[in-house]
Amino acid sequence: MMRPRLADEGRQRIMEAVSVTPAEAPHASRRYRILIVEDEVLIRMMIGEELRDVGYEVLEACNADEAAAILDTGLRCDLIISDVRMPGSMDGLGLLAYVRACHPTLPVIIASGHLPRIKAEACGATGFLAKPFAIDIVLVAVAQALERPHE
Amino acid sequence: MSKVPVSSVLLVDGDIISRHALADYLRHCGYAVVEAANTDEAFVALSEESLSIDVILCEVTEVGSSSCFELAKWVRANRPELEVKLAGGLQMAADTAAELCETGPLAKRSYDPSAVVEYIKRLRAGRQL
Repeated sequence: MMRPRLADEGRQRIMEAVSVTPAEAPHASRRYRILIVEDEVLIRMMIGEELRDVGYEVLEACNADEAAAILDTGLRCDLIISDVRMPGSMDGLGLLAYVRACHPTLPVIIASGHLPRIKAEACGATGFLAKPFAIDIVLVAVAQALERPHE
Repeated sequence: MSKVPVSSVLLVDGDIISRHALADYLRHCGYAVVEAANTDEAFVALSEESLSIDVILCEVTEVGSSSCFELAKWVRANRPELEVKLAGGLQMAADTAAELCETGPLAKRSYDPSAVVEYIKRLRAGRQL
């Protein structure tokens, strides 16, 4: 498989940060549910598998429209990680605006290779990932976003 | 030489709710699942040499540049070692997923296919509210 692996130490650090372990997670009564919005299937898969490995439940959306569709179901979602440039009726910033309007306390991490962090944060992003990123950076950003008090 | 157990499924479905429910179910059965929203994403996954895929489960109504049948035809011509399962609807997709779980790496676990279908129906009903 193509997944890059974290060093054991880094993986342990992340698992402690989110207070779950792969062994415990399947039996936990409530796991954090993370929605990944990314139109590159291999990137989406890689992030998803890494997050699942450390105990999160993950939903994968290929664009902002799919993400909005899943949010509209009322399915609980604890965090969104979204790319910016994607096909569909809205891009990642459009999705961010939608979330701020309809789910104002839901944290959103914006991932982009061209958008400056300051703009993402000005639009209401909880966190920012500059592409290309290492997967352990994603896990740290996720743990931080979930720990941050929702405004 | 013993047959290598099927362990990785490429799930092609244009409906995120159905796709997630089926993928979640297959993962609980012990499969590695690659989720593709359309045939274009499926071709990208299939072209990634380092990605191991054993079975393709494709819902025939999904969208993409190519139809599900064209994907199946391409696979049979270029990746004949892969098994392709076409599903003509949600019920059939759920049944196929249940069949995979019954014969897959965690065959000792028992699952109720009807429970999966009910789960998917609940998700769909919730979306229509």
